[in-house]
Amino acid sequence: MKTHRLVVFLLPLLLAAQSLPEFEKKVTEFTLANGLHFIVAERHEAPVVSFHTYVNAGSVDDPSGATGIAHMFEHMAFKGTQNIGSKNWPEEEKAIDEVEAVYDRLDGERDRGAKADRGKIAALEAELKTAEEKANSFVEPNLYPRIIEQNGGENMNAQTSWDSTEYYYSLPSNRIELWFLLESQRFIQPVFREFYKERDVVMEEYRMRVESDPQGKLMQTFLATAFSAFPYRVMGAGWPSDVMHLRRADAWRFFHEYYVPGNITLGIVGDVNPADARRLAEKYFGPMQARPLPPLLHTEEPPQEGPKQAEVGSPSQPLLFVGYKRPDEYSKEDPVFDVIGGILSSGRTGLLYKDLVRDRQIALQAEADDTFPGGRYPNLFLFSVAPAAGHTTAENEKAFYEVLEKFKSQRVNAATLARVKAKTRADLIRRLDSNSGLAGLLTAYHAIYGDWRKLFTSLDDVDRITAEDVQRVAQECFVPQKRTVAYLVAPQQAAIHEVSR
Amino acid sequence: MNLDRVRLRACATFFIVSVAAFGQTTGGPAAIPNTPVAYRDLRFPPLKHVPIPSVTTCTLPNGMKLYLLEDHELPIVSGTVRVRTGNLFEPPDKVGLATITGAVMRSGGTRSKTGDQLDEELENIAASVESEIGESSGSLSFSTLKEHSDEVLGTFKDVLTQPEFRQEKIDLAKSELLSGIARRNDDAHGVADREFASIVYGKETPYGWQIEYATLDHITRADAIAFYRRYFFPSNMLMAVWGDFSAAEMQAKLTKLFGGWNYEQPKVPPFPPVREKARPGIYLATKDDVTQTFFIEGHLGGRLDDQDLPALAVMGDILGGGFQSRLMQRVRTQLGLVYDISADWGADYDHPGLFEIEGSTKSASTADTLTAIQKEIERIRSSEVTEDELEAARQSALNGLVFAFDTKTKTLSRLLNYEYYGYPKDFIDRYEKALEAVTRADVLRVARKHVHPGDLTIVAVGRTDEFRESLATLDLPVSSIDLTIPKSGGEGKKP
Repeated sequence: MKTHRLVVFLLPLLLAAQSLPEFEKKVTEFTLANGLHFIVAERHEAPVVSFHTYVNAGSVDDPSGATGIAHMFEHMAFKGTQNIGSKNWPEEEKAIDEVEAVYDRLDGERDRGAKADRGKIAALEAELKTAEEKANSFVEPNLYPRIIEQNGGENMNAQTSWDSTEYYYSLPSNRIELWFLLESQRFIQPVFREFYKERDVVMEEYRMRVESDPQGKLMQTFLATAFSAFPYRVMGAGWPSDVMHLRRADAWRFFHEYYVPGNITLGIVGDVNPADARRLAEKYFGPMQARPLPPLLHTEEPPQEGPKQAEVGSPSQPLLFVGYKRPDEYSKEDPVFDVIGGILSSGRTGLLYKDLVRDRQIALQAEADDTFPGGRYPNLFLFSVAPAAGHTTAENEKAFYEVLEKFKSQRVNAATLARVKAKTRADLIRRLDSNSGLAGLLTAYHAIYGDWRKLFTSLDDVDRITAEDVQRVAQECFVPQKRTVAYLVAPQQAAIHEVSR
Repeated sequence: MNLDRVRLRACATFFIVSVAAFGQTTGGPAAIPNTPVAYRDLRFPPLKHVPIPSVTTCTLPNGMKLYLLEDHELPIVSGTVRVRTGNLFEPPDKVGLATITGAVMRSGGTRSKTGDQLDEELENIAASVESEIGESSGSLSFSTLKEHSDEVLGTFKDVLTQPEFRQEKIDLAKSELLSGIARRNDDAHGVADREFASIVYGKETPYGWQIEYATLDHITRADAIAFYRRYFFPSNMLMAVWGDFSAAEMQAKLTKLFGGWNYEQPKVPPFPPVREKARPGIYLATKDDVTQTFFIEGHLGGRLDDQDLPALAVMGDILGGGFQSRLMQRVRTQLGLVYDISADWGADYDHPGLFEIEGSTKSASTADTLTAIQKEIERIRSSEVTEDELEAARQSALNGLVFAFDTKTKTLSRLLNYEYYGYPKDFIDRYEKALEAVTRADVLRVARKHVHPGDLTIVAVGRTDEFRESLATLDLPVSSIDLTIPKSGGEGKKP
């Protein structure tokens, strides 16, 4: 155990059930020969169990020109397998091949660009529609997710973010074997059926989350401004023009490269017997073939040479994003950023809330996210401000810099530092009582840091942070050269020119 | 890495479904036997007994009812006081009064401490005390690590019995609500929700009202204090405490803490009834900065104690409750017209909820989507659902029921709701039995009895110039919703 001065704050919180040694007794880990890693945590309070599959691949791994494929694959993972979702797999397979053959010819003609024959394109489009209808006639729509639903599946969902793709739901604990079967099959013999209809669905999701949401629109521009080269510059859904051209072969390539056993961590938390889990894991996931790990991304964001700004015109009320470049979450400064986030933006005592929302009343909301949009690679310390009615982004930006400069100029006091540390620890304790939340955290910490125990030991890392650390890192990070600002403003209002240094 | 996987990030993450999924499934096809086991061949052992926690109840001499539940897994103590009040009791010219009272009760501090002092003290020990007043109830809640529970209970009592409603926090709450009004048309889905409820419930009763600049202007500190005094008295509350304590000790502690609080007011009257009146037609709201049309269609739903509820819930599930549903299969999976679509037979404890079908689609496919939905509404009313559909919906609901009991606090919170709204303690058990008995004929009967195509209100928000004309095929009267935000009458701050 670490430093003496902190023991005062920690001791009362380190009650038996929440210390790492106690928690470890509930956790069993094993790795199959093919590389798949399982973490099983027992909680027998109720006959339910939560499952979480964490794939260490996300939209940053989208190939150039095929952005959105990680997300598209996530949708395909609900389309079933050769055995689940087909009325007649051999016939369906032939029909799907035919769809692809027609689509190849269509793409061939379209790729002639200006010289393409429009009549031929129209004919091929009609042919494609017929081929798709035939293939779809063999489909039992949505059978895969329907099986989960019928068995009482709770909170079934999946999400694609920049760093990861995650699949999760909970079941009554007498149905554990069903999860092993379904989850293994979708990663052993997936079928990407109804690909092009699902692509339309994914386009609707993009329209909903990005094009029709002021915050989504601003985020898209903000990221593309902050990052010149690194793929954090693209929204997780990809660019719509790429998405509209995604093909089944793109999904296959992505699947083969990234959905390899060594790149996947599975968490099972709840009323589960670890020996049963191991037996079922061998039986169902054992056949998954070992493959080499995908290559690391070699694209690096070049150093930023000065502040960047962008503006999105919108009839909506104004918004302001300010981001500063920061190192990845493997950096030894990572816990310092956690603490800085807590000091600036936590509850009603965060400095931004106190200054902009409570005292000056110029903002409706002012928050920080210390790691955005992902953490595996160098990213941003993000601030978002929603000006109060009648107040501008310019006024808020100026006030925000004042708060930040004041924060950088002084050492944070002991009470504030202690408050943030106490909250970090209490937050963890509060999360331990949710099976699904725990399954997500255990798999994420394993996938990111190589050990779920980091969930607990990172508290000790946070406890070691001093006021000097906070000030030093804030002074290094929050400088104009590392800054990107984006404004959502009325089209005629030129925010960039009004503002700031 | 921060534990909070963060609100900001949520706006930029992409999911398979927009909300937690619902659900069920049919029997399915013949599987090709080359996997270890076909899913239909799996046999499951019976589900283990679900332990029902024991709740200690008692009533203090001042009329306050206590519910105590021990849960020793984590060193945390939490509690809430449920108060019979709500924004349904606001006067029409002061809409927002209950919301402000609920917020400032805590933020405005107590007689001895300002709200800012409470913020510091509570956050120093990672505890919280929060107050809120919603449509038909108010609450004051706390949560703390066990070792600070005495201190936090003391603060909790002060906020409950001696809130000061300092003027500066009244002003802050009003300023936040003003900003909320200014932003209320920015989110197209929010616009559809709000306008749909307002049209279907109508302006005649508080169910259809909303906060405006003018109603905020009228609200004073004295109003908030009077509203608080009228409703926050011991015999008008239920208090529940759960977590790591001994029930006997906690009961003694709370008796000592609140036993001397003797304050009485006349019995609180029932909430106003909903005015049941159909308002059919298509209502269009123009919003030009979106590429989708956000729609909601439906009419008044029912109450949870309606004996048709189990069959209606099954009907809602088959129509639009997850991947198994007809709307999901048809409009999303087969037609590719929507990402988000769902139907829900809306039922509430004490007044009719809202029967709603909602989703969003690109502007150009608005009419096609609404037409496809109309067909499914007709279909559910014109012929029986299949045995597979019925079985899937029932299995899904019955198998998933264990999740209503998977934490002790869910059981306690359900008990509190039943008590508050006057439902029998075993309501969920009766519901389970009724669900098991639902037949195909029941589903058709309740669909015909409760779903009225002629009464449907359809609200569509988006680029109306791109789809208004195409809606003629639906053959319904079309009118426009004016989203202009009315200016304040008085001096108050305006954007």
